Amino acid sequence: MIFPHAPILAIVIPLFAAFLIPIISIIAKRFGAERMRGGWSPPWGINLSINGLNLLIALIIASIGSLVAIYSVVSMERDNGLDKYYTLLLLVIVGCMGVALTGDIFNLYVFFEIMSISAYALVAFRRNWGSIEAGIKYLIIGSLGTAFILLGIALAYGLVGSLNIADLTGKITEIGATQPLPVIIPLMLTLFIAGFGIKIAMVPMHAWLPDAYQAAPSAISALLAGATTAIGLYAMLRISYMLFGAVAIGTMFIILGLITMVAGGLMALVQQDLKRLLAYSGISQMGYVLLGVGFATAAGIQGGLFHLLNNAIYKVLLFMCAGAIIYRVGTSNMDKLGGLGKNMPITATLFIIGGLAISGVPPFNGFASKWMIYVAGIEAGQAITYASTAIAVIMSALTLAYFLKAINLIFLGQRPMHLREVKEAPPLMLFPMLILAVLCVVLGILPGLGIDLVQPAQSALGVI
Amino acid sequence: MSLNYIIAMLLFTLGIYCLLFKRNLIKMIIGLQVMTNGLHLFLISLGYRTDGIAPILSSQMLAGNGAANFAALAVDPVPQALVLTSIVINICTMALALSLAIYAYRHYGTLNPFEIRRLRG
Repeated sequence: MIFPHAPILAIVIPLFAAFLIPIISIIAKRFGAERMRGGWSPPWGINLSINGLNLLIALIIASIGSLVAIYSVVSMERDNGLDKYYTLLLLVIVGCMGVALTGDIFNLYVFFEIMSISAYALVAFRRNWGSIEAGIKYLIIGSLGTAFILLGIALAYGLVGSLNIADLTGKITEIGATQPLPVIIPLMLTLFIAGFGIKIAMVPMHAWLPDAYQAAPSAISALLAGATTAIGLYAMLRISYMLFGAVAIGTMFIILGLITMVAGGLMALVQQDLKRLLAYSGISQMGYVLLGVGFATAAGIQGGLFHLLNNAIYKVLLFMCAGAIIYRVGTSNMDKLGGLGKNMPITATLFIIGGLAISGVPPFNGFASKWMIYVAGIEAGQAITYASTAIAVIMSALTLAYFLKAINLIFLGQRPMHLREVKEAPPLMLFPMLILAVLCVVLGILPGLGIDLVQPAQSALGVI
Repeated sequence: MSLNYIIAMLLFTLGIYCLLFKRNLIKMIIGLQVMTNGLHLFLISLGYRTDGIAPILSSQMLAGNGAANFAALAVDPVPQALVLTSIVINICTMALALSLAIYAYRHYGTLNPFEIRRLRG
């Protein structure tokens, strides 16, 4: 049956055609093609702006999006309404791409809403009681967040009368340099951080995330964990660093990151449901990213962004493994699983690779980026950075503890009688997982590849 | 003029109050709408100018010192465009929220958000 999955072509063809873009750009250069349409130059017209940071985020979204689409073919085959599913999936990717590449702050809001509304609908896609409840929670909290963002944008427009991010940056920096600081600038900053913080589930605002990830289809949990959190963090970084400078914000990010890391990790320890455990550990990993970025040194920001890239890779891998288990067994409650390592050896291996990578065990990519964050924390040389580095090392050990618990409960131990006939996940499901696992190992052995990607991103932020 | 801003902020605060303290999903969705409409009023007020003219430029206006006069008289069109976009987004959110509320009522037999709490852990 190919027809229910025909909409996947709408994702796969453009993503593969994307490789033709460099050729088109060579041709366009030769013939001197016009890049500005409509005759409006940037502060007035709406533009796209591409820099190193954008490209990193767009790369994450495009790769995660296409892998999730391939994964969905098998993992969603028992659901109906697949045409709507793929439409919403495409809309989420469109929204993410738009947020990543736009140069206009109101456009950013619109794409953010496109992404959010499609994500609410996808969380509630199966329409059973759990997904409806999770969808309502996500919708109410998320709408509050986007309303804060819109208020922040309205205040920015009222203050300087411009919506172009580059233009806003210059004008707000000028106003921010005056003494005393106008009260509207910290107000705007608070609104933006609260709004985007809800999307990346920073700890005081994280209540929606475990429910949403548990109730959504596994492919969607993977997409949300990989792409939309990356987008939330990107938007927060871009708006706060570009608009308001780094000095005072850094300490705030460090504190928020520490709270997020510790609370997420502790909550993950006590979970019985695999997808809930992964959701809480995802919150904890975002804490590391915030911490690295908060050090506000070149090494710290590079470490944080590298961790964002790595987190997208192994978090999606782990959610896909959880989805494979649910596909074959029908539950993700760890108390009802056991001994699956004999039935699903490949899934077990991939899950162990992901689990070790997220805990920061040496040959995998999580180690490389966590190491960069630790080194940056010690080099920054203040009391708070030493203390937070120490806490980060302890939390890393805690991560290993709860992933060993999960591996032990699912793949080792006694196998219940009714799980004797469970088969290995289908090959089309294993293929995207295999790619991600290979990336985990490659980026772990050759971290230079990842650092080459994040170096332009850090210099585009222009902090140091 | 400042009355606009006061009412806008009042609507925003009322909306948040409604969202946080009402124990009925429909009322919470109404609160969401009130909050966003407060925001829309705020945005519109930013571009408003008493006795202003519509921001539509014709060729006669450009003669002589016309462009400067036009800029001094016309209201700001950008917030109006923003509000139009935002209204459309808002309708999408509301439609989705109401349909979710219908499903919630079917599954749980109640609209009280404190009783729609089976996901735990």
